[in-house]
Amino acid sequence: MAGYLGSYATLGLLLLASVVVFVGAFSANRLLRPASPAEPIGKRETYECGVDPVGGDWAQAQIRYYVYAYLYVLFAVEAVFLFPWAVIFDRPGFGATTVVEMAIFVAVLALGILYAWRKRILTWT
Amino acid sequence: MSTGEAVTFWILVWPALVGAIGMVLARNAIHSALWLVLTMLSIGVFYVLQSAPFIGMAQIIVYTGAIMMLFLFVLMLVGRDASDSLIETLRGQRVAAVLLGIGFAAMVGTGVYRAMDNVTPAGLEQANAQGNVEGIARLLFTKYVFAFEVTSALLITAAVGAMVLAHKERRKGEKRGQPETMRARFYPGNYPGPKPGPGVYATSDSVATPGRLPDGTLTDRSISKILPVRELTSSESAPKGTEK
Amino acid sequence: MEDLSLPKIDYAAVAPMLILFGVACVGVLFEGVLPKAARRVTQLVLALLGLVAALSVIVWQSDTRVLTAGGAVAIDGPTLFLQGAIIVLGIMALLLIGDRAMEHGGAFVAQAAITVGSEADRKQAVKEQGATEVYPLTVFAIAGMLLFVAANDLLTMFVALEVFSLPLYLLCALARRRRLLSQEAALKYFLLGAYASAFFLFGVALVYGFAGGVEFGTIHDSVTESTQSTVLLYAGLAMIAIGLLFKAAAAPFHVWTPDVYQGAPTPITGLMAACTKVAAFGGLLRVLYVGFDGVAWDYTPILGVVAVLTMLIGAVLAVTQTDIKRLLAYSSIANAGYLLVGVLALSKDGLSSTMFYLVAYGFTVIAAFGVVTLVRDADGEATHLSRWAGLGRRSPLYAGIFTFILLAFAGIPLTSGFIAKFAVFGAALDSGEAWLVVFGVVTSMLLAFPYLRVVVMMWLSEPGESTPTVSIPGGLTAAALVIGVVATLVLGVAPAPLLDLTTSAADFVR
Repeated sequence: MAGYLGSYATLGLLLLASVVVFVGAFSANRLLRPASPAEPIGKRETYECGVDPVGGDWAQAQIRYYVYAYLYVLFAVEAVFLFPWAVIFDRPGFGATTVVEMAIFVAVLALGILYAWRKRILTWT
Repeated sequence: MSTGEAVTFWILVWPALVGAIGMVLARNAIHSALWLVLTMLSIGVFYVLQSAPFIGMAQIIVYTGAIMMLFLFVLMLVGRDASDSLIETLRGQRVAAVLLGIGFAAMVGTGVYRAMDNVTPAGLEQANAQGNVEGIARLLFTKYVFAFEVTSALLITAAVGAMVLAHKERRKGEKRGQPETMRARFYPGNYPGPKPGPGVYATSDSVATPGRLPDGTLTDRSISKILPVRELTSSESAPKGTEK
Repeated sequence: MEDLSLPKIDYAAVAPMLILFGVACVGVLFEGVLPKAARRVTQLVLALLGLVAALSVIVWQSDTRVLTAGGAVAIDGPTLFLQGAIIVLGIMALLLIGDRAMEHGGAFVAQAAITVGSEADRKQAVKEQGATEVYPLTVFAIAGMLLFVAANDLLTMFVALEVFSLPLYLLCALARRRRLLSQEAALKYFLLGAYASAFFLFGVALVYGFAGGVEFGTIHDSVTESTQSTVLLYAGLAMIAIGLLFKAAAAPFHVWTPDVYQGAPTPITGLMAACTKVAAFGGLLRVLYVGFDGVAWDYTPILGVVAVLTMLIGAVLAVTQTDIKRLLAYSSIANAGYLLVGVLALSKDGLSSTMFYLVAYGFTVIAAFGVVTLVRDADGEATHLSRWAGLGRRSPLYAGIFTFILLAFAGIPLTSGFIAKFAVFGAALDSGEAWLVVFGVVTSMLLAFPYLRVVVMMWLSEPGESTPTVSIPGGLTAAALVIGVVATLVLGVAPAPLLDLTTSAADFVR
């Protein structure tokens, strides 16, 4: 277990072990449980306060949620750039330059949040 | 290719392919998106395999995390009644597109495969000499610093654009304040009290049953407006789970 | 670990881009903090000031020839010339964008999120002022174009491509009238544009596999030296070319053009027709002349076929159009073909004549779309050609201007169109590409037909009940029209100064 891929072998083993545990537990459950299925009418229907479901299960979402999702993506992308910056900025030779570079980057993106705040996108109406 | 690499590759190549094909063939857009997640996860692992752990993780976090979530949000915006138009405006367009697509993929695939036949990988050690992430950071913050800073312009354009296209600004006058709400509530002809609860009887435990007012009349006001107006069949309105 | 330091950046040379990016960011800031009433004037003045400042820096830096920012940006003759051209044309487009005299609230919708056709939509169409986000977005687009023509590696070029495309997709969706058409145009442009970008990126990856780098210098060297399979090179170049030809609206990647030109707000159509064309051909010139000149013999025939196809499709389909904006779109496709003829001369003359053509065409086309914004009826712009019949009697001045513009498109002597066509065809002849020139001349004659049909219609028909009025242009549109028409005339009568300028600028640094 050496080398580049060796370091991922542990992770691979862990994943494998979790799959085994998951499959094992559910199989054991299936084998051990008593099986006496009854199928009364309506057993497999959604049931809440006596209203039978009609139509599809598809609801249209409000477009405002899209903006939130979008802002989240924006900052996830920013995080991708922040991460390499975070591991190196205190190394010798990096320092102030990279801090300034990242400050500009983040400041420009912060404008987006400012804009959203001023347009009252962040307040729930 | 080391053994570990080969084994992982041949295990994951199937989910990647099945996911991609499933994405194209799935009838339901949500299923399509989920198939795509499978492909993207596999590709993320491929990146890691090829000594690019940073890109691999970014693929998993940003693509399968954030961007797929955005896809799902967009799909949720599609209304229930929306359906794909199956009319071809140009006859034979779909068949031609499929054939051209497959032909193009085959051409590029074989071309790249043949071009990669006798290639010895070079430069990987130098690139990852001080660590993969450090190497990327080194390039990003020196040589490509201009492109990096300009990316922020791209992101803010996208943010402003999303808000311009998707956000409705409310005027001050459009929001009803407390006095207006109260005035409307006690307006003559309006019933200011709370609505009666639903009627639940021995014959039906459905909230769609109208409630009975103290004077004995049934009232529609007890039924929520979001309940669809419909005739219940007797089996539907019957109490559940008591038949045998 | 050795010290890391920022690559030397010649700030004066990149200042035009920095200024415009800064101005656009300030514009977004103003959008957030300024009261609604003050926004439009502030944004317009800010954007114009920024463009003028960037232009003055370019004039001041006109002798700079330098690779800067770690070799990612090349500031040389073509860069400076094309940047200057983009800014001047951008100023004209911005004047059209900013004008609110012809229509209450301007050409842009107040709130794009309001459902089309709803009560609120009808209310905002007559009452509210247009969105002011269009100004920062326009400036972002122009700044991206400046970087696009200056990019000296494929990665920077790709980022620049996205930076100037994204605002254009958005701006296309913001028309005040015929909003569904506008949104459809934006969606089409976005989807096809994203597709073209993907091709570009795929091509960059393949070329990287071939050359081991994305800088044009590295690519240029490895074209002769690399031992890698040339499949990577050709496939990569083909895909990069697809991305660029899409933006340039060359056939067979032109299908978006008529729909998008028709649906977009007319000032934005002007911006796309003039500035995007300059940027796309600027990028194409640099890719072909600097990066891949070693394989010129291989790509010239293929791009020659593309050029011929572009000219033919543009000219033939222009004949059948019944909408003035679609007609101008097909004319713009045909002009992309003529520009490709100039590009394929692959000589100094080819470079300078292409640059001259870009500027001449840009001035004329913005003026043309400026006139289109003037011809209106109660429903907004009357773009159907039949409505233009008899316009000469209604408003001889503007019909005259439009006639002059169409004659310039047709390449009649004493207009810039003639000199420009003459220059590109001459350069192509000198390089032995006579077959392209033959197709160019034939399609030019064919293309003259739809132009002259519009002219005949305007002057020789009687104005009917449905003939729209020609609005009096506001000061801004009038200024843009005057600049466009005067430039078209001056470049036709006395083209020497600009020709000299393009010749002296026609040297890439590598």
